[in-house]
Formats: sequence, C-alpha cells, structure tokens
Amino acid sequence: MLFNSIQFAIFFVIVTFIYFTINHRYRWFLLLASSCYFYMVFVPVYILILGFTIIVDYFAGIYLEETEGKKRKVFLVASLIANIGVLAVFKYYNFLNGNLSVFLNDIGFQNPIPFLSIILPIGLSFHTFQAMAYTIEVYRGHQKAERHFGIYALYVMFYPQLVAGPIERPQNLIHQFYEKHIFEYSRIIEGLQLMLWGLFKKIVIADRLAIYVNAIYNNSEHHNGMTLLVATIFFAFQIYCDFSGYSDIAIGAAKVMGFKLMINFNRPYFSSSISEFWKRWHISLSSWFKDYFYISLGGNRVSVPRWYFNLFFVFLISGLWHGANWTFIIWGALNGFYLVFAIITQGLRDKFDVLTGLDRFPRINHTIQILTTFCLACFAWIFFRANNVTDAFNIIEKIFSFSGSIYWMDPYSIAYSFFGIVFLIIVDSKKEYYRGSFSFFNNKNWIVRNLSYAMLIILIVLVGVLDGGQFIYFQF
Amino acid sequence: MEKALINRINENGYKKLAMKVFVFVIIIASFDFTIGRVLNYFYFTQGSGTQYRTTYSLEKSTAEILVFGSSRANHHYVSEIFEKRSNLTCYNAGRDGNSIFYHYAILKGVLKRYSPKIVILDFSTHEFVKNQDSYDRISSLLPYYRKHPEIRSIVELRGPFEKFKMISNIYPFNSSILSIAIHNNAEYNNTQREDIKGYMPLTKIWNEPIKTDSNFVQYELDSVKVKAYDSFINGCINSRVKLYIVCSPSFIKYTYKEYSVTIGQEIAERNNIKFYDFSNDSNFINNSSLFQDVGHLNNEGATLFSNRLIDKISETEKNIELVH
Repeated sequence: MLFNSIQFAIFFVIVTFIYFTINHRYRWFLLLASSCYFYMVFVPVYILILGFTIIVDYFAGIYLEETEGKKRKVFLVASLIANIGVLAVFKYYNFLNGNLSVFLNDIGFQNPIPFLSIILPIGLSFHTFQAMAYTIEVYRGHQKAERHFGIYALYVMFYPQLVAGPIERPQNLIHQFYEKHIFEYSRIIEGLQLMLWGLFKKIVIADRLAIYVNAIYNNSEHHNGMTLLVATIFFAFQIYCDFSGYSDIAIGAAKVMGFKLMINFNRPYFSSSISEFWKRWHISLSSWFKDYFYISLGGNRVSVPRWYFNLFFVFLISGLWHGANWTFIIWGALNGFYLVFAIITQGLRDKFDVLTGLDRFPRINHTIQILTTFCLACFAWIFFRANNVTDAFNIIEKIFSFSGSIYWMDPYSIAYSFFGIVFLIIVDSKKEYYRGSFSFFNNKNWIVRNLSYAMLIILIVLVGVLDGGQFIYFQF
Repeated sequence: MEKALINRINENGYKKLAMKVFVFVIIIASFDFTIGRVLNYFYFTQGSGTQYRTTYSLEKSTAEILVFGSSRANHHYVSEIFEKRSNLTCYNAGRDGNSIFYHYAILKGVLKRYSPKIVILDFSTHEFVKNQDSYDRISSLLPYYRKHPEIRSIVELRGPFEKFKMISNIYPFNSSILSIAIHNNAEYNNTQREDIKGYMPLTKIWNEPIKTDSNFVQYELDSVKVKAYDSFINGCINSRVKLYIVCSPSFIKYTYKEYSVTIGQEIAERNNIKFYDFSNDSNFINNSSLFQDVGHLNNEGATLFSNRLIDKISETEKNIELVH
C-alpha cells in the first residue's frame, strides 16, 4: 500500500479511529494486524519471510539474555547469519551469480548454478536492519529481550516505518508500544501537518521531476551533456523529496498515534561537507552503520590507514545495502572516497582559504562549501540513478563535454518542476536560516495557518502528479 | 453519564479537532469550488492546443470524415488532402499518447451529436498490450466527465475512486493550469497554432537505417481494451457510419504479423469492417526520408500516405467522388 494512495488514506483513518477508540491493552494487536495487512497488500506471501526473521530474532533475543559467556556470541552470530542470509538469498543471490557467470564465461566455463526467479520483498533491507539492531542491542546489554512476541513482531512490522524506515532502534521504539497514548489535539495536528508536507514533496516535486529524469536517464545515449546535467540536478531533488517525503509521512502517521520516530532527514543539501551531508541524509541508516558496523571495525580508534579503510569500507557496504548492482557499489565507494579525501586534504584546504582570503568571508566560504558538497553529491547520484555502469560513465563523459542545449520535452512539466524546486528551497532555507521569522505554516494566527495548509492541499491537486509511482526506496 | 462522556470528549480534544477539521474542510471546499470554476471556464475558452482539439472533437466538430487515433493518427492523416480528394469535410481527432479508451470516448460524444459519413481509426501495433499508462492517460477526458455522462464509464476505468475524486472541482484540471493560461492568449493562438484541422505536420527527417523486428511475442491481451475496440466498431455500425481501420506505416520491418494487429484485423473482418495494414508497405519502409522517427511519418510521408489511403478507400466507397 503506497502512502500516496487513496487506499492508504482510508486505511490510516480507519486504523487511527479504532486505535483511539479501543482499550490501550488491545492496541498492540490492532497495530500488528493492520501492519500485516499493510504489508500483505504488496505481495502477501512475503509476510512469511518477515515471520521467519521475527521468530528467529525473538528467540535469539531471549537466549542472548538468558545465557552467558561464549554461547551468547553463538546466538548473536546465528541470528545475524539468519538475517543476512535472507538478504543474501532474496537480494544478492542473482547479482553474485550473474557476476560469477561473467567471470566463468571469461575463462571459458559455463556457470552451472541456476538463477532464482524471485521478486525482492519490499523494504527487506529496512526491516532486516531493524531486526539486527534489536539482537545487537540485546547482546550489548542496552536493551532487555522482549518477552511479548506480539510487541516484538510489532517492533519489526510497525506499518508507518515498515517498508522504508526510519530504521528504528529498540530502545526508542519498543517501550512506546507499552505506553498509553492519549488523544492529544496539538500532537495530532503536528502529525497531520508533517504527513501533508511529505505528500507535497512526493506528489508535487518528486513525481514531477521523475517524469523528466526517467525520460532522460532511460535514454541517456540520445541526450546531450546539458540535458543530462539538468536531469542529474533534478534527480538530486527528486530522490530527496521522494525519500524525505516518505519519512515525513511515516513520522507524521506515527506521531498522530502518539509514537515518536527518529528524524531521518535534516535538510541535507545545506551541508557544507560530505561528512555533514551524511549526518543529515538518511540519518537512521548512517547512524546504524556507525553504531553497529563502523565502531565494530574499530572506528577512528585505530591506525590512520585503518581508519581510512574503515570509513571507505563502511560506505562501500552502505552502497551494497542500497542495491545489488555495481552502480550502487560505486556510489557507496565514491562517498567513502569523498570522506577520506576530505580528511586527508583538510589542512591543505584550510591553507587555501587563508591564501585566497576566503577565511575572512565566512558566509561566502560557507556558500561555496555548500555548492561544492551539492555538486559532489550530484556527481555520485549519477551512479545511483544510471541503469548500469556503462551508462553512468557515458553520462559523465557527456556532462563534462558541456555540449548542446537543454531538451525541453514537455515545457509545462519542466515549469512545474522548477516551481517545485524553488518552493522547496524557499521552505527549507526558511527552516535552516530563518527559523524564528514569519511563518505561514507555523503562524500563530490560525486563519493564516489554515489557509497555508489549505493552499498546500490545493497545490497538490492542482499541479501534483496524481498518477505517480511508488517510492524509490521501496526497492531497497 | 452522557454529560460525563461529553466532558471526556471535550477534555481529550476530540471536539476541538472535529471543529477544526470542519472549518478546514470548509476552507478547502471554498478554494476548490472557486479555483475549479475559474479553471473550468478558461479550459473551455482555449483557442488552440491539445485540450482545445479534444473539446472541438467532442463538442463542436461537424466534419464528414473523422480520424481517430494516437499521435500516429495526429501526424499521419492530412485533413486537407482528404477534403480535397473526397469533397467531404475532414477533421483529425487524434491525440498524442492516447489509446482506444480515448478514441472510443470521443466517438461516443460525437455520435451523440451527429453521425459522420466516414470514420478512420488508426490502429497501433501493440494496441492491446496491458499498460497502466493507457489508463493514466484517460485523465485527458476528466474535464468532460460532468458534461458528458456518455463517457463516464470510460473515465471510471482509471480506478475505483475516480467517481469520488471527481467531487473536487480542481481535480479534472490537474496539471493543466499553464496550458490553460497560454492557450487563452489570443495572440499565441493566432501565431503559434500547431494544427491544420487537427492534423499536426512533422518536419524532421529520419536518417537511421531501418530496424527489423523478428521477435514475435504472444503477450497477454488487455481484455478491456479489446472490448473498447469492439464497442468502437459496434458504435459505428449501429450509427451507420462507414468505418475504416488502418495500421499506418512505421519505420520498423516486421518479419511477422504483430499480435495486436492480428487480433484487431480478425475482429474487424468478423464485423465486415475494412482493415488496411500499411505497417510493412514497401513504399514507406524503404524510404527513411518519409519519417521523422521510427513511429511517425513526416509531412512528406503523411501526404503520400493520405493520398494512398484515400485511393484505397475509394475502391470500396462508391459515394466518394475522387478528385485527382
């Protein structure tokens, strides 16, 4: 069930209404049942995969808490293998097998291993990582093993964040299922407002930009450098609005029912460095990798070369997490390279600022840094969006030839796209730099506030792409 | 007890929320009504463009020959040639990107007003393939939903909630505001008009070698599309309109008969309707200079094709007095 569908609107209203009507003791069951239904609308049989990981991790958590010594590690490893195994089979098996086939063909052999005819279960990487966070936290002693099977299942399956995050931590979410959430007017309004803004970003901006981006990137060989450059910039805004729009709807829907999910995006394109970008982009995943992978590798408390390796390797794996394709791996590696390069050249860049006098103009310097970070992110997005590595390199070659004029395709659609981007930049700039100043959406006067939100709805109906597709991150 | 319940509701904010939601809905409804009415007015006063041509086809055309189809119809059938050669008036009602759903809806609207003498339906290869885009494209008929009850069943193919979405006054004009603004500008309409009686000439020349398609696929047919096609034929037969179904040229050499074309031809012949297949006509597939791209003839190609088609039609249509 897509958040940007009428079906979800009906589902959400019914579930929320029943949620506040029934006794607090039975709410977990309502949320679990509705989450099962929400997930089964996509491909019903895949609920069995979720069920498998839930059962494994539920018992793993209990055994981890009840046992001591080396056995604990055995249970943790067994649980992680089960989770990663599911990911490996459903997400990476055909990719690895395909690469093996290419390799064997090159040396004159045929690959005897068959390919699997399977569709990737929606949101598999998200709920697998959330489940792994639970067992690791129980192992580390930061979280008690959850004895209530229904509550544990709900922790993995809570419908607002089931298919595309935010990837929650057990310490933040599980206790909330035990708490009684009352019907609180101001909280509900805040949740609905967040959902509305998320919908706006998805329907008016992301899906509009997707029309141009898909048309260009799916036929990149026919387009010139300028067109591909515009499509790449559009994609940067598309993926931001698509994914942060989903997160806003998820966080807002949970908030209406009284749950507090972690923030996933914090206006990442205002970052002045790649390091800051990753603290603002997909925060729940970045922090997952930091907490459970980077630190396990030794983090920065190791030799300098090993630290660089740790950073690079974490981003490489993060790329692989996104998809079983070399484009994602290169995208991850590129971001890892950016980070390591930034650390190595920090001193040189500081000297350059002094030499050019930029250090005396902090605002200009900051603006240049923001634009540089945005350009680097866009360059990496080429690999993320391209259909294959060959396409990506061809696109880069064409972009850097700076040739041709922009392909206007459908001028109306491009005009709506520019409108969306400008609207987003104004709203995000306001939140980033002028938080305390006049605001339409948080105005104290309820007429201004209501009119502003009414206009947002009108704009969605007036210029939104109402036949838009699913969210990009569902495929992960 | 009742008082206690009311107090509880008030305390928890239910009443406050209900009141605010009510006020908010009133504000939205007012905006929707006002903006929707304005858009509705200006939508139907457009003087050129795609939307104008749909309005003209559905509500105003009185042509004796009407051409239906997608972009291939729009760019392949030169209305003036049909007029000159047959002494009948002609209008090209084709619209880019649309499928049999759109053509059938327009036909229904036309037949409600009058019966043209001849209808030509351009039939595309892969016409019956299952494709969500065909259903999404029905959105071009949304502005006519209220005024034309005869097309409602087609518009509702978009989805189960279409009826409810149509409560909104703005929804039918989604993504149309710029087009409406531009095509209400008289100067633009006078100087930038793209069509000649519905026909839109293409001017570029295709320079690539022809591609051969030898990959026959018996894909799953969209039964709703087949039914709409059947209804299109029956609509013409019942109104005594002479119907010709034409698969116009494309710059692809098919080594087999495309599956939709086979089915389309079978249904046409079953109803004694002429089906002319130009998809492998050697006059066209041997000459790339007649095309703008693989799917579309340019003006030179369209002129040649229109003349050849009217020659062919005149073989069976005794009422047409051919002008050479």
